[in-house]
Amino acid sequence: MFNLIKKDIIIQKTQLLLFIPLIIFLVFFAQNLSPILIFLLASTFISANAYVYDALTESNILLNSLPYTRKKIVASRYLGAIVYMIISIALAGGVLYLTGYGYEMMDMAIAVGLFFIFAAFAFPLFYILKPAYIGVAVLIGTIVLALGFQPASRFFMEHMTVITDFLVSTSTTTLYLIGAATSIGLYLISWMISQFIYQRKVF
Amino acid sequence: MGMENVIELRGVSKALKAFTIDNMNLQIKQGYVTGFIGANGAGKSTTMKLIMNLLQPDKGKVSVFGLDYANHEKTIKDRIGFVYDSNIFYESLNLKDISRIVAPAYKHWDDKQFKFYVKQFELPLNKAIKKFSKGMQMKASIAIALSHDAELIIMDEPTAGLDPTSRRELLDIFQEVMVDGKRTILFSTHITSDLERIADYIVLIDEGQILFDKPVYELQEQYAIVKGSTELLDADTEAYFIKIERSPNGFQALTKDVAKVKEVFGEHAVIEEASLEEIMFYMKGADHPYD
Repeated sequence: MFNLIKKDIIIQKTQLLLFIPLIIFLVFFAQNLSPILIFLLASTFISANAYVYDALTESNILLNSLPYTRKKIVASRYLGAIVYMIISIALAGGVLYLTGYGYEMMDMAIAVGLFFIFAAFAFPLFYILKPAYIGVAVLIGTIVLALGFQPASRFFMEHMTVITDFLVSTSTTTLYLIGAATSIGLYLISWMISQFIYQRKVF
Repeated sequence: MGMENVIELRGVSKALKAFTIDNMNLQIKQGYVTGFIGANGAGKSTTMKLIMNLLQPDKGKVSVFGLDYANHEKTIKDRIGFVYDSNIFYESLNLKDISRIVAPAYKHWDDKQFKFYVKQFELPLNKAIKKFSKGMQMKASIAIALSHDAELIIMDEPTAGLDPTSRRELLDIFQEVMVDGKRTILFSTHITSDLERIADYIVLIDEGQILFDKPVYELQEQYAIVKGSTELLDADTEAYFIKIERSPNGFQALTKDVAKVKEVFGEHAVIEEASLEEIMFYMKGADHPYD
């Protein structure tokens, strides 16, 4: 399992060199970005990239010819994503701190929650989509996220009084707990679905 | 199952979009080189994928080393070395990084052995796989397949797309590898001449069906090409042949009962040794393939 997770780093050594510059770029050239979005983009970077590599039929034939079970391959993807998410958010936090870009722990927590939700929907899709479309899907997803995230959150803040009332009336701790439970729950369900799809996949 | 069979397929059926395998039975014997031959699209790769558990059968059982994949996938694959007809390694990586990914997957990875083959095959460790020639990619794949003490080597068209020189070179390598006699090799190809030097058994597949599974010496002893005048043919004598081709100058046919043909036709027909290619050609669309 650890070997499969480590593999993601080996296959994208060169892209990883872009990781820190990417965050610095976001800090300086997109100054109005919410730190939440920066954390979210950072957290998905490694896993999304690894998916693009592993979506190739050839990679699936390789991994499945090695002494790994399909269950392990999917499990390493879901656990690996968490590992890389934690490392990436820590790194991004470091970069933001050093560049004086203001953020709070809450931004990180929300980004982690959004990461789980985003991954929960994206990962099974990656197993269903044909390799050629995955790059396109990632690109579109990123653009939609980048363009739509702030207007959407503003819209929710202003118009969804039911939600905001609920948010205001509920204690922060409860909110965190509900958020964490929902996003992690979705992630676990998604893991089951991916495993189901991958067991039946034909290479 | 007996220990002498490394691979056993029993009543395996698999329906794919463009292709069906129906009730296939196949045994690959331990310690021998089995050549798996058939035209392009005959079902070789599908069968190989069933053996590697890249495809799961709709019906029937696949066992390798006497174990099933449902309970022993890791153990089975730990003991298999694989070579495919096209590159399956991350092509932007170099061989060193690929060995870093592959090595920890195996219990018995032997880095010394790997370095030995890398040197023998003159492979660069720091060059991206996509910059390798087809022959080098195959050699890289073989080097990896041979570096974890695998008991069974499965190769799907390892010589496909190679120029004659590299093909020869690869066949020499295989021959060396087999010297210790401990290993079992299953080697699919549509270039039958590859096998004449190295195979102990030949399995012929056509349209998803195993037409035969025989030791090479038996093929050489029993099968022959018979040429003669069409006057020799009648309802009785035609039964000796798997397939007959007629032309104005006479007939040419494949028999699997060379002794009987010699006895009946004597000096009247020309009897020649049949090459694997001829056997494959005549068996395809044979009149009585299973007799």
